[in-house]
Amino acid sequence: MSDRTAIKVEGISKSYGAVKALDDINLEISEGEIYGLIGPDGAGKTSLFRVLTTLTLADSGTASVNGRDVVADYQDIRRTIGYMPGHFALYQDLSVEENLNFYATVFGTTVEANYDTIKDIYSQIEMFKTRKARALSGGMKQKLALCCALVHKPEVLFLDEPTTGVDAVSRKEFWVMLKRIKESGVTILVSTPYMDEASMCDRIALILNGRIIDRGTPQEIISRYPDRLYAVRGGNMFRILKILRPLDGVLRCSSFGSECHVAMAQDGPDSSFLLDTLKDSGVEDSSVELVNPGIEDCFIRLS
Amino acid sequence: MGMWKYLLKKEFKQYFRDPGTPGMVLSFPFLIILVFPFAANMEVRDVKLAIVDSDQSEQSVLLTEKCSSSGYFDVQSVTSIPGEAQTLMDKGKIDAILTIGNGFAKQLKNGSAMGDALPVGIKVNTVNGTRGSIGSAYLNACVSEFLMESAGISGMPSGSQVEIRESYRYNPYMDYKRFMIPAMIVIAVTMMCGFLPALNIVTEKEKGTIEQINVTPVSKIAFIVSKMVPYLCVAFFMVFTCLLLARIFFGFGVEGSLLDIGLFTFAHILVMSSFGLLVSNYSENTQQAMFVIWFFSMVFMLISGIFTPLNSMPKWARIVAGANPLTYFADAMRGIVLKGATLADTWKDLVALLGIGGLTTAWAVLSYHKTN
Repeated sequence: MSDRTAIKVEGISKSYGAVKALDDINLEISEGEIYGLIGPDGAGKTSLFRVLTTLTLADSGTASVNGRDVVADYQDIRRTIGYMPGHFALYQDLSVEENLNFYATVFGTTVEANYDTIKDIYSQIEMFKTRKARALSGGMKQKLALCCALVHKPEVLFLDEPTTGVDAVSRKEFWVMLKRIKESGVTILVSTPYMDEASMCDRIALILNGRIIDRGTPQEIISRYPDRLYAVRGGNMFRILKILRPLDGVLRCSSFGSECHVAMAQDGPDSSFLLDTLKDSGVEDSSVELVNPGIEDCFIRLS
Repeated sequence: MGMWKYLLKKEFKQYFRDPGTPGMVLSFPFLIILVFPFAANMEVRDVKLAIVDSDQSEQSVLLTEKCSSSGYFDVQSVTSIPGEAQTLMDKGKIDAILTIGNGFAKQLKNGSAMGDALPVGIKVNTVNGTRGSIGSAYLNACVSEFLMESAGISGMPSGSQVEIRESYRYNPYMDYKRFMIPAMIVIAVTMMCGFLPALNIVTEKEKGTIEQINVTPVSKIAFIVSKMVPYLCVAFFMVFTCLLLARIFFGFGVEGSLLDIGLFTFAHILVMSSFGLLVSNYSENTQQAMFVIWFFSMVFMLISGIFTPLNSMPKWARIVAGANPLTYFADAMRGIVLKGATLADTWKDLVALLGIGGLTTAWAVLSYHKTN
């Protein structure tokens, strides 16, 4: 990671009719880092990507990619970025090889010239190179799309929800590939709705309803979590939630996988208070444990 | 340059890889020349006729024979009960009824000089207006021919006679096929160049592939032009194959110059492709585009003089036809193919096509920027 700024976003806003998709977004992304844009569906991730990849114009604010303005220098930007949209956007009726050749050619280069850049990923799908893109599995499609986005050696890579709808193993593999791409000096801006992927990024921004609600390294964001967090387990989760939510001293209470996370002030009551209350209400099989907060907990606190 | 080449290569590849299109393109000229002209045919043959003969005389039998031997009528029944024939017509079994009233032979013998009309009636089924009116005209002609002949035989003075000799120019046998083939070519070019590229672009929009292209250095012009080129080639292929087939199968030559045909085809392609682009700009998905296209193709075809003459349309329809590119292309094509018209005759059509083309292109380009 260097100190030079790769992507700079200043006061970007964008509305679709009455819906404010982006509301005064400010971001600074350094060269050579993996920057994660994390937020639920509809938070504005794709809108920001579309502004930065010059596909749409913002209503106000400015943004630049490697010093090039997204409005004035859009043609230069298009030449130097790689973009992988959230949906599979390659030609389904062309083969793997033809798609790759096509994207290489439109960027004025060849697959051979940049083979090094894509070798790691392409070698995994090369055996299917004559197969039509539509006949590939989800994971393969994703690898092909990444190859096509990388084939012209971009300076900045934009990946819009690359792991959505991909199985757990492929997701893990994908992040390994991203780490490797980053090592070759490419700046990567990646969006994801999965909070657990936040830790794979160098820095992240949490986005909700078109606003950045927090930013920093994943550790920084977690360390800013001010409350004590308990994981409560028990048989009837719905009942437990109903009992704990209205309690004095419970700041937030939400289900978290098979358990529920309860946030309480540092100077408030402790776990025994929770256990006692549950017992008094007739819940006998519950257990309470102090846990470290994750990004999802931070997100819930801020939202 | 390499980029353009590859863009075109990609379009052609996708074009020929499509399961339906190449076969459709190859079979279209054959359909147009060998099938459609027979189907889109306004000639009326085998008018189904019932004859109500109340006279039952030698003369009435002769008239019946005259009608059945004329070749235009298919005499379904001869009866003396009028109600029977009417029932047949009500059921849609017959197209026309010829009623020969009582006293037909007598009156014919005495001559109609007395001023009484002959008791002959013609009734036609006009559910299909064209068939009805043409059938009635045939029947009229048949009866008057019979009267003329019988007057000649009986040696009666038939009064002053005006002989009308018709001469059909440009299409001497009034062959409807000859008239329709240039129009069919017009329709084919319209479909090929207006609507298929529009659907192609909308499909890229729908599938999202256009987004991936938009972040590459490929310019919009290059993207659109490369989409049009395959269809342009196909359109030219189609026009000249159709003309060749018409020559081989029917011996219909082209009276005018092939170069003029090429020129008009090109002008029409420009108009239709910019129109197609316009449709694709305003459509988000294939369904929308299909509906808009369907609507316009109905208007384009029906209000253009291709099937029915413009002169018989009300004023507003003629105004619509004036804004319809097919009107001019069809007029020019018919002129060139049938009459050997040259640019000196058809330049107005060319100017009109280019004018409409200029408007639609400007609109398409402007709206293309707006939608982004």
